[in-house]
Amino acid sequence: MTTTRASSETLYWIAITFVLFPILTAVGIFLRTVQAGGLPGLQSWFYPLMTLHGVGMVGVWYVAAMAAVSDRLSRYVSPSPLMGRIALAGTLLGVALLLVCVFAGRFAAGWYFLYPLPFKGEWPQWAAVTFLLAMTVLGATWLLWSLDLLRAIAARYSLSQALAWHYLAGRSEPELPPAVLITTVSLIAAVAALLSGVVLLVLFYVELLAGTASDPLLMKNLTFFFGHTLVNLTLYLGIALVYDLLPVYAGRPWKTNRIVATSWNCVLLIVLFAYFHHMYMDFVQPGALQAIGQIASYASAIPAAVVTIFGALLLTYRTRMRWNLGSTLIFLALAGWAIGGVGAVIDSTISANVRLHNTLWVPAHFHTYFLAGVVFMVIGYFYHRCQELTDLPENRSVQRLAVLLMVIGAYGFFAMFYLAGAYSVPRRYAIYPAELAFGAKYAGAAAAFAATFLLGFILYLAETGKRWLRVVRPGQ
Amino acid sequence: MRRIASLVVAIWLTAAGVAHAEGGAAAEGESLFSAKCTACHSIGGGARVGPDLQGVTARRSHEWLARFIAAPDQLIAAKDPIVVELLGQYNQIAMPNLGLTEDEVGKVIAYLAESGTAPPAAAPRPAVSPMAEPELLAPQSTILVLFLALTAVITIVFAAVASSTRAPAAVDVERAYALRRVLFFTGVTVVTALLVATIPLAPYVTADARADRVVYVAARQYDFVFSDEPITSAADLAQVPRISHLEIPAGTLVEFRVTSLDVTHGFGLYGPERQIIAQTQAMPGYFNRLLLRLDAPAQYHVFCLEYCASGHHLMRADLTVK
Repeated sequence: MTTTRASSETLYWIAITFVLFPILTAVGIFLRTVQAGGLPGLQSWFYPLMTLHGVGMVGVWYVAAMAAVSDRLSRYVSPSPLMGRIALAGTLLGVALLLVCVFAGRFAAGWYFLYPLPFKGEWPQWAAVTFLLAMTVLGATWLLWSLDLLRAIAARYSLSQALAWHYLAGRSEPELPPAVLITTVSLIAAVAALLSGVVLLVLFYVELLAGTASDPLLMKNLTFFFGHTLVNLTLYLGIALVYDLLPVYAGRPWKTNRIVATSWNCVLLIVLFAYFHHMYMDFVQPGALQAIGQIASYASAIPAAVVTIFGALLLTYRTRMRWNLGSTLIFLALAGWAIGGVGAVIDSTISANVRLHNTLWVPAHFHTYFLAGVVFMVIGYFYHRCQELTDLPENRSVQRLAVLLMVIGAYGFFAMFYLAGAYSVPRRYAIYPAELAFGAKYAGAAAAFAATFLLGFILYLAETGKRWLRVVRPGQ
Repeated sequence: MRRIASLVVAIWLTAAGVAHAEGGAAAEGESLFSAKCTACHSIGGGARVGPDLQGVTARRSHEWLARFIAAPDQLIAAKDPIVVELLGQYNQIAMPNLGLTEDEVGKVIAYLAESGTAPPAAAPRPAVSPMAEPELLAPQSTILVLFLALTAVITIVFAAVASSTRAPAAVDVERAYALRRVLFFTGVTVVTALLVATIPLAPYVTADARADRVVYVAARQYDFVFSDEPITSAADLAQVPRISHLEIPAGTLVEFRVTSLDVTHGFGLYGPERQIIAQTQAMPGYFNRLLLRLDAPAQYHVFCLEYCASGHHLMRADLTVK
């Protein structure tokens, strides 16, 4: 396969990710340190920085995954370079607004800013308005970016082809790379999620400008349809990368067939209904929707486990695998997805959710499939891309150490969440009450594990960063 | 729009002359205090999100109190030295504007003055020493063991596949596809069985369900108010009798009807083992019905399980089953 040139936007996105991710990780370590009883003088920053950490991480990995997929798919389709630059500028503007409202206004409504909290916190109203503007800029930018990538796909494939319906009919021409199928599925759902975000923001503005209050139950449904779906799709964008990349290292093909096509078309339906599991503890939500939430959440595990993960393992099994930093991270990412998925499916059982809802079990499972899943997928791709473009000699010892530290750090960090969550320690508590004071012990250990992860990431950065620099400045 | 913790009052400074209001004004002030201030302040009950206001009218001048209660943001913006000191003591959590008229501010101060010399309204919550984790309840333990077991299986499978790449060989794809079919039908069967077995265990109450006792719960930043009558607005707080300490006979089938007066909160009921035994959300405009039988005599705790801003981790209530 030929190596395509990386666009300047891709190189910018890689740099932005490499700067923002360690900073936001450090913010996360700060949060766990405060919960452990450290830094008492900075405790009042816990909730504003919790908001920054949440919005920041969700945003960074959505754009990083979009950037990676856009770059990879440029082998098959032609995303607009102009739209790439608009996405970059819009994202930077949104981040700037976010920083202003958090650091100057101490805005602290959390990453999903559950209505009507943005209007009823301790922060000044301008901070809430600035936050909503930030979400508007980011949402509109990402909506346009998603639509442009869909446009690029539509320029080469009809909708039925991009959704691989001809495979369902028994035909395999034109051949459709799985990455294109998965990206199409993901972006169709992403557009629905982002439109839900637009409606949500409009209702916030209506209240702000006209004083017309909205229904909290409706707003919560819109919030989680938007938030849950977007996070879920970020992961699927990472899976698109896996489908396209793993064969490169395994030396075996991984093509679209009827099973893969059926699986991802099912995902398109399932992913739109799984968000109901966020509403289980809202007992006034119609019972049928609660049941649909559990059914959809369970159903999503079948195509994930039986098709994608099984397929990846089959592709890897007894092959002459070329292991390096990129392929190792991508392989481990599938394990992270699977383990986090188990935690999520357990939590999506209504009768278990009663014991787990809004405990530390929730950040436990989403950190597992986010940090050890999508983050590993995307940084694996970024390493692969930089290595592909430079072909520098690989320092296997440093790469192994980087992976080892990241894996030990990440899974130790997750374990503290899972254990504390099982003991009913609530999430999002700056300080634990005496009855749950043991939560501080888990928080302290989690901070140490997260610092270990960060150390591993810095080693990763050293390996990938020098390749990125070589691409940017070929003469040096 | 800054909320306070710092006080309703930063109220304090020395000064003299604190007003003595008429009995009627103080009574109205009590209602206002109850509706607007008790989420963050007590009178003689100890510091909460903001300071304990007992004796505040002896510590601060009437003029200063009136200015601060009426427009805290102005004193905050002016970096008033008392406010700066209070913000430092209370984690920079600023008092919000309460929207009180000048007359209402006077009534609140009258109530504060009258209460300042009275015995504490409530005994301070006894200090509780940090506690070690208890033994896991059976449901939580089952969840954790199941998760760890499945994680172990996944880890072993991935490790085995990674290890297999040391001895490359051709793979019989047809056998692999046969295995996939087995996995698919096994997966569908297990998922279906689990759905059938667990969905009926959902904690939702049917419309005709009847409890031995109904307790209304109004959540607000940052406390829970218990009552035998519905509280649907802040105005109700002054008119509906509250239950100062909720006691429930062991074995009672209780229905908590939970709502919120401001933002969404979580009503997380922790049993004697300090783990969640039931929960529901507290959402403005809705009553969520949580029905359960409380059998074990003990102190139970309610913690807020939906993030609700800076006092979230302080938002709690206790109840006794005896």
